[in-house]
Amino acid sequence: MTYELNLNFLKELEQETILQVLYRDQMVRKVDEERIRKLKMQLQQLRWKGAKSVNHEYHERSCARCQKSLGLVMNRGAVCNGCSHRVCSECRVCLNHLWKCTICYAHGDMKVKTGEWFFEERAKKFPAQDRHETTGAKLLKSYQKLSKISVVPPTPPPFTVSTGGNTTMLQEISQSRSFNKSVENLFLSLATNMKKISKSQNDMRSDKSLLTTDYGQDVERRKERRSQSDTAINITSRIRNAPSLQRLINGARDDNEVYTKRNCKQGEDSPDSPMSDTVFCGGKKHDSLYSINSTCTEAGNFDMAHVTGEIEFAMRYIFKTYILEVCIKACKNLAYGEEKKKKCNPYAKTYLLPDKSSRSKRKTAVKKNTVDPAFHETFKYKIEYSQLETRKLQISVWHSGALKRRVFLGEVIIPLASWNFEDNSTQSFNWYQLKAKPEKPEDSLVQYNGELLLCAKLILPSQSKKCQYEEQRNGEEQAAAAGQLHLVVLGAKNLPVVRCGGTLNSFVKGCLTLPDQSKIRQKSPVLKKEASPEWKHLFVFDGVTASQLWQSHLDLGVWDQASFGSADQFLGGARLSTKSGDRARYGGQVCNSQSKLQWQKILSNPNVWIDITLTLH
Amino acid sequence: SDPACPLQMASATDARYGQKESSDQNFDYMFKILIIGNSSVGKTSFLFRYADDSFTPAFVSTVGIDFKVKTIYRNDKRIKLQIWDTAGQERYRTITTAYYRGAMGFILMYDITNEESFNAVQDWSTQIKTYSWDNAQVLLVGNKCDMEDERVVASERGRQLAEHLGFEFFEASAKDNINVKQTFERLVDIICEKMSESLDTADPAVSGAKQGPQLTDQQVPPHQDCAC
Repeated sequence: MTYELNLNFLKELEQETILQVLYRDQMVRKVDEERIRKLKMQLQQLRWKGAKSVNHEYHERSCARCQKSLGLVMNRGAVCNGCSHRVCSECRVCLNHLWKCTICYAHGDMKVKTGEWFFEERAKKFPAQDRHETTGAKLLKSYQKLSKISVVPPTPPPFTVSTGGNTTMLQEISQSRSFNKSVENLFLSLATNMKKISKSQNDMRSDKSLLTTDYGQDVERRKERRSQSDTAINITSRIRNAPSLQRLINGARDDNEVYTKRNCKQGEDSPDSPMSDTVFCGGKKHDSLYSINSTCTEAGNFDMAHVTGEIEFAMRYIFKTYILEVCIKACKNLAYGEEKKKKCNPYAKTYLLPDKSSRSKRKTAVKKNTVDPAFHETFKYKIEYSQLETRKLQISVWHSGALKRRVFLGEVIIPLASWNFEDNSTQSFNWYQLKAKPEKPEDSLVQYNGELLLCAKLILPSQSKKCQYEEQRNGEEQAAAAGQLHLVVLGAKNLPVVRCGGTLNSFVKGCLTLPDQSKIRQKSPVLKKEASPEWKHLFVFDGVTASQLWQSHLDLGVWDQASFGSADQFLGGARLSTKSGDRARYGGQVCNSQSKLQWQKILSNPNVWIDITLTLH
Repeated sequence: SDPACPLQMASATDARYGQKESSDQNFDYMFKILIIGNSSVGKTSFLFRYADDSFTPAFVSTVGIDFKVKTIYRNDKRIKLQIWDTAGQERYRTITTAYYRGAMGFILMYDITNEESFNAVQDWSTQIKTYSWDNAQVLLVGNKCDMEDERVVASERGRQLAEHLGFEFFEASAKDNINVKQTFERLVDIICEKMSESLDTADPAVSGAKQGPQLTDQQVPPHQDCAC
């Protein structure tokens, strides 16, 4: 039945779906192959250790394992039931009432761990079949043969060389000429479908990407762009409601893109009650969201007092449990939240920037009618120590007014990179001067929307044959030859949570903008109900040359698929580009130069998979 | 003695788990399990409930095959389960049956509110016997037991059929999370038992004592035990 097993009878989209499954399976298999390879190596080493070899003369009575001499009366050794060798008492492993020598034991152990026991059992029924080849591998092979693809490997680099009958790198390169056509077939159907979708979303997308990538740049331009879309009405009404346009823009920088309507601030700071309020996301309505970034207050819907006073807190890192503890003790000489009435109901709030999601938010209780509140509350953040240096602790103090009106009373921002957590003296309580919000948010305070994991490979087919003979010409050849950029979107983590229950229906859009401003778009399937999705989806950007790519930039965006009738929501994006200027205005130098280096690495290492982690903004 | 873990002594290879390794490789066994049964009996939901603890009432027909991976800790071993979810629809049959060969265990599912799906169990069982290895472990699961009002297949009928076919039997509900975990864990345990049996029979000393019929069939590979 398996002789003619292939996917031919399926529709193209079905094939595509199944291929994705097969590739995922391939990855699982490769992990397992690697594990088995290690196991076998360990067994081999164990064997060598005690191996008797023919060209070495052994004592008549010595342990076959450790080669220790055995006595005639004491410590005589015994014959192993498995291998019939005489072994000393040290080299035995007891199993119930029986025992085996260490190697027989390890051999059996390996049999179960590798699953070899199953293959052996199965071979009794199907002796003719290849013991280890799986149906998935067979299907993939048949598919690749049929479509004349040597390899379409959305497999990460560590596993490119494998033993199990998989095509090796060399073959892959040498055959990659026949590649283009077949890969086209594979992805054309999908791509055309995706194009339709993404075209209809173009307005939205460019609008949003402007918000997220170019914000803080050109207010006029942004307004203009917005007014082209159907979001204009919402935004203008939003502007009318907001204290000032400048505030809005600052808010936009802070908040990245989530605009919340005026009444949303009632929901803010009460995350227990999921908001049914309308929340604007890039101008589209979303109903079932709650406290997405919970930074509505920062987004402009608050008043600012003349900042005075100090806050007392202590901070320590518990290495054992990976917990950052922030203990907020008290404030003194706070400004009045309502100056005229001499009223102040203060509370303190912390974020571990750049994460401004509700995950990162901690809040004290509200203290009534005091400008010298005592809080005595401890907040905990579970975070790897290595992550700390990328974070800043923001402690802000707010007045909780009537009708949930918020008034900003001051804040302290501590870059944790400069904090010495290993020194106990830094754990004591200290008073810190509260500060007003900076006029312009610092670059490094840019929204952190999680990370995107990728691996990418630039495939230049003409290289394969040339490389052996004309190495010196390679550079030019490669630059001129049309190739493919392969990008496997592996997964994302720490994405902002926009749904109740903390899961997302996320997908990735990729858009490669070529020097002539033409764009190639790709989209991954939607992965439902995953907070940390692993799409493992392959993007292929076809017909691009290396020299083109040096002038191009690749935008990647993670989106949450909307429920019926609303627009998809942007979760975060990143850009790969060689131009440092592109990103300099946000994201700070670190991520900017990082993504630049990563892009350069891909382009200067054709035909090699490169792993990438991008911070989403 | 615990049949599920015949190897109680720490082996030389276990030391590596102390080191930081790719979490993916950090398991002792890998079991492949296949879920089969008529269309819409709830195979995908059952898997999602187990692997993700999620449930969606909406019915989405599975295209061909799909799988999820879950690592569990059972009998002191980390067991990575690759659980294959198959399309119940006839048109994918060539693909799905091809996967029988690689499965160590099966969950054969019917819907207690759907007589037809129950009547098909016998056929599914025949498919298993045809395409799978001889020792394939099968659990018969009557899903949707939360829908007692619409039940058309009595528990007892399910139990009897299972007994007749030599399978173990559970009634379960992916929706209400009844017996889902138990089903998988029982299947894992049975596979573990088969595994330790196969190891015993492969051991000449033990199998000699047992004189099982398979001993004569079994071709003893030359490298079987030690390379010494």
